[in-house]
Amino acid sequence: MNESHDDPIDALLRRQFEGPVANDGFTERLMQHLPSRRRGTAWPLWGGVLTGAAACWICLDSVPLLHLGWRDWLAGDLSTSAIGMALLMVAISLLSCLWGLLENRGS
Amino acid sequence: MADSAAEARIDQALVTRIQLGGDRRAFEQLVRRHQGMVRAQLRRLSRGDEAAADDLAQETFMLAWRNLDKFRGEARFSSWLYRIAYTCFLQANRTPMRHDPLNDETMEQLQAPIHAADLQLDLERAMRQLSEAEQVVLLHCAQMGLSHEEAAYVLGMPLGTVKTHATRGKAKLKAWLSDWRDASMKEIS
Repeated sequence: MNESHDDPIDALLRRQFEGPVANDGFTERLMQHLPSRRRGTAWPLWGGVLTGAAACWICLDSVPLLHLGWRDWLAGDLSTSAIGMALLMVAISLLSCLWGLLENRGS
Repeated sequence: MADSAAEARIDQALVTRIQLGGDRRAFEQLVRRHQGMVRAQLRRLSRGDEAAADDLAQETFMLAWRNLDKFRGEARFSSWLYRIAYTCFLQANRTPMRHDPLNDETMEQLQAPIHAADLQLDLERAMRQLSEAEQVVLLHCAQMGLSHEEAAYVLGMPLGTVKTHATRGKAKLKAWLSDWRDASMKEIS
């Protein structure tokens, strides 16, 4: 609330305001025209993720460095290619998080 | 204060029911709780044009229904609704609110008290001579009882600007209605 409710002008202004309007069927009329609520569907997001992953896999399948890195990673050998692949995955994850946060803030 | 906190909690619970399950009854309750003040706000902004104000109120609640997922509780639900209503009003009325130019004749009329009952009429006329920003700030702060922070959120103005408009607006009204001061004080007391 405001700090200056003891001001005569404040009191006059409050008195001049008619206050809440009576319902008089407004709510009922509104509810009759209320459309069904559109729920946000998740399938386009997951479809995009899967398509993107598949496209990445197809494009990178012919790169021997990734095969090498993956093999070293599974064997527990921290070779340069394994570290490079891990860094790449971290970078992509961070970018995805950042994108998600920005989208969330913008909505 | 405790009442308004309890009201805000009820609103939040209803909003959660809608966000989770699209509960139309919860939305109906929200409309019943807030339609009175939203329509009063819009009637004031529309200079008493009840039909136009009710159309805008309907649009306001439709937008609230569609965009309820975007309500994150950073402001009170009522403030969020007032903000939507004010935005709807601005979009529907691209022409600015009426602002009567100040002239000597008007001032003379304002300073010539005949009956104390005329005070409200003179206040109405004096309000119209304020700038648009002063009018909307006084409507939301002094008449609807919002805090300066809430008014700043609703009107999309910086807090300092809201405070300045409120102070200036009231100072002008005081000056213009100075001859009425005694009468108003008697009526209020």
